[in-house]
Amino acid sequence: MATREIISTGNELSAIAAVDAGCEFFGGYPLTPSSEVMHVISDLLPAANGAAIQMEDEIAGICCVIGASMTGVRALTATSGPGVSLKAENLGLAQMAEVPLVLVNVMRGGPSTGLPTRVSQGDVLQAKNPSHGDYKSITLCAGTLAECYTEVVRAFNLADRFMQPVIVLTDETLGHMHGKAMLPTLEEVKEGIVLRKQFDGAPEDYFPYQCEHDEPAVLNSMFKGYRYHFTGLHHDKNGFPTEEIETCRKLIQRLEDKVELHRDELELNEEFMCDDLEENDVLIIAYGSVSLAAKEAIRDLRKQGIKAGLFRPITLWPSPAERIKHYTDKIKNVICVELNIAQYTAEVERVSGRIGSIEGLYKVNGRPIAPNEIVEKVKEVF
Amino acid sequence: MAFNYDKYLRLEKMPTLWCWGCGDGVILKATIRAIEKMGWEQNDICVVSGIGCSGRFSSYVDFNTVHTTHGRTVAYATGIKLANPDKHVICVAGDGDALAIGGNHTIHACRRNIDINFIVINNFIYGLTNSQTSPTTPQGFWTVSQKAGNIDPTFNASNLAIASGASFVGRETMLDPKKLERLLIKGFEHKGFSFLEVLSNCHINLGRKNKMASAMDNLNWIDSITVSKSKFDKMTEEERVNLLPTGVLHHDTEAREYCEMYEEIKAVHQGKRAKITQDDFAKKI
Amino acid sequence: MSLIKAPENTPVWVDTARCKACDICVDVCPAGVLSMKAEPTSTLGAMISIVALEDCIGCNDCELSCPDFAISVADKKTDNIKFAKLTDESKARAAAIVANKYRLPENYGK
Repeated sequence: MATREIISTGNELSAIAAVDAGCEFFGGYPLTPSSEVMHVISDLLPAANGAAIQMEDEIAGICCVIGASMTGVRALTATSGPGVSLKAENLGLAQMAEVPLVLVNVMRGGPSTGLPTRVSQGDVLQAKNPSHGDYKSITLCAGTLAECYTEVVRAFNLADRFMQPVIVLTDETLGHMHGKAMLPTLEEVKEGIVLRKQFDGAPEDYFPYQCEHDEPAVLNSMFKGYRYHFTGLHHDKNGFPTEEIETCRKLIQRLEDKVELHRDELELNEEFMCDDLEENDVLIIAYGSVSLAAKEAIRDLRKQGIKAGLFRPITLWPSPAERIKHYTDKIKNVICVELNIAQYTAEVERVSGRIGSIEGLYKVNGRPIAPNEIVEKVKEVF
Repeated sequence: MAFNYDKYLRLEKMPTLWCWGCGDGVILKATIRAIEKMGWEQNDICVVSGIGCSGRFSSYVDFNTVHTTHGRTVAYATGIKLANPDKHVICVAGDGDALAIGGNHTIHACRRNIDINFIVINNFIYGLTNSQTSPTTPQGFWTVSQKAGNIDPTFNASNLAIASGASFVGRETMLDPKKLERLLIKGFEHKGFSFLEVLSNCHINLGRKNKMASAMDNLNWIDSITVSKSKFDKMTEEERVNLLPTGVLHHDTEAREYCEMYEEIKAVHQGKRAKITQDDFAKKI
Repeated sequence: MSLIKAPENTPVWVDTARCKACDICVDVCPAGVLSMKAEPTSTLGAMISIVALEDCIGCNDCELSCPDFAISVADKKTDNIKFAKLTDESKARAAAIVANKYRLPENYGK
């Protein structure tokens, strides 16, 4: 029940969420507009007997987080687009070795140095495949101040459940927005914590990477008597490098299937005013801070006699393909509103089969989209 | 004496994939002997290795082991150690891993003085990937990336570590495995960052096209470019120019270890002490 | 210190499954106890062999220098072994082996 009231910024809420969710380690590097996550957690963690460290660069930031997580602790890093680019190789190692972690990306204008102090949603496609090779990204996107907290909590539980990095996208608007957030109580958060599975049998019977085809590795905390190997190479059931044909095939397929075959555990959407939508009404698809403007636009449109609703994916990757298709099959007028050029539209087109018949409102100049811009665009195209 | 290495080895992984006569095996054994002398429990040890032939080090030892991406061993190890300050962390990397791609992390790990033992196996080449120039390959050597002859100037790895603030820096070769073992023990005993440069032979990749195609020839070359620190200190500039001193090169017993300093940060945030100020430190800049 | 128990009356012994024929132990042995021999079925066509077991002085240099855990030396304190002293004869044999590409010259000493 969202009964705990905290007045703060999105970045600060993300830091508080991590500590509430049992995070004991932070490693990172300053990068606008995410730095406040580091500033806040650098005070919260040592107070709670954890450790936070500002490393020498973004790459060291993710490496020390992966290292800490390998030893069994929940670990967080926070950055923005350029930092994710730098961290990409090691995110791949965390995917391959199945090491859980949470990465908060407070999105800013890109590409490259872009617009450091301004908003965008330009890292959506990057979050799907930040690193080379085959694996499934889990990417959540906060769409309200409160979700800057709740999505980070959810991310930690999902990271431990699926044994891989989980990316939480927020953006400069939400990261720096200051306001009231209604949150679950600390007790509720603590009760909801589900830590990574551990094997409690004899060490000689323990094979960390021997699991069902759709299950993640079971990685015991380091230093507890279960000695095994982490590597980014293809590996066998003990974690040792191998090139054996079937082992390699099964490993990559399992990295795919452990997420793909359990999408139901990951899917989370908001369907705002969608219940009464019919074929000739308007469906807006938006996520993140843009959804705040979309909801306001929908209220305006309805006052003007246009029935509109918002489908908001909160888990962006894997995408809620069936639910999107449910709406795109039913409703003719669909418009995606994003602070990028059609990055999620591409996914909507792919899962709906409606190539070329999804409208879009795209803004890439670092400014937020105002409700009236959405209202005008809807009236223009439909 | 018939030291029982088997206890510390993942026997199913033997024999090692290193070339015949490769120094990595000698260094592995010296490390194991040093660990036994330290009396450390296997469960309390984490060995982190990088990419390269030396990177396979971690597969062979029966500890908690991590094989990282190229150049990032000490960055991973910093997270492992900071989250578990009472455990023993040993990093193993080659000259390319530690000084080229990993240079920045090496420099800052030295500066930070976190209690990690960094064994840098310097064989003067990129061995695993077949003879590309490394930051320590002598000028004029043949490498596959500079077949006309290497023009790149070299790092002196130990000097780099000292300049970066490492509180324990030593260099040995695998010519005298007992001396190497003693250096490793001193490094392991030291509370702070220990930079342990070990000169090794890669006769297959470095040596073959540079007139030292056998293990012994390569080792003799290493012998010819090294001299004990006590002798080195008495030499003139001219005599020193093509020699690397071996032994303990730098040992600062006063430098404060990072995890211990971090306990002070915890104490401040838990209300147990006042904020840390310049007065807490002898060094003001 | 964890030690292996040496086989009866054996100052030094080799594990040919692990030996990669790198010559290093032969080079460092001061007493000419070790030599490579031709072995067509193994790495580099050679294999380690012990040619003068009774002359082993127990210095342990071979074990320390072997990269492949392929040679072991008895322990002076705990194994019941009498090691030899280093003689001029042993040194001469060692030099002859090294000079002959780490192989004991045929008919040496005969």
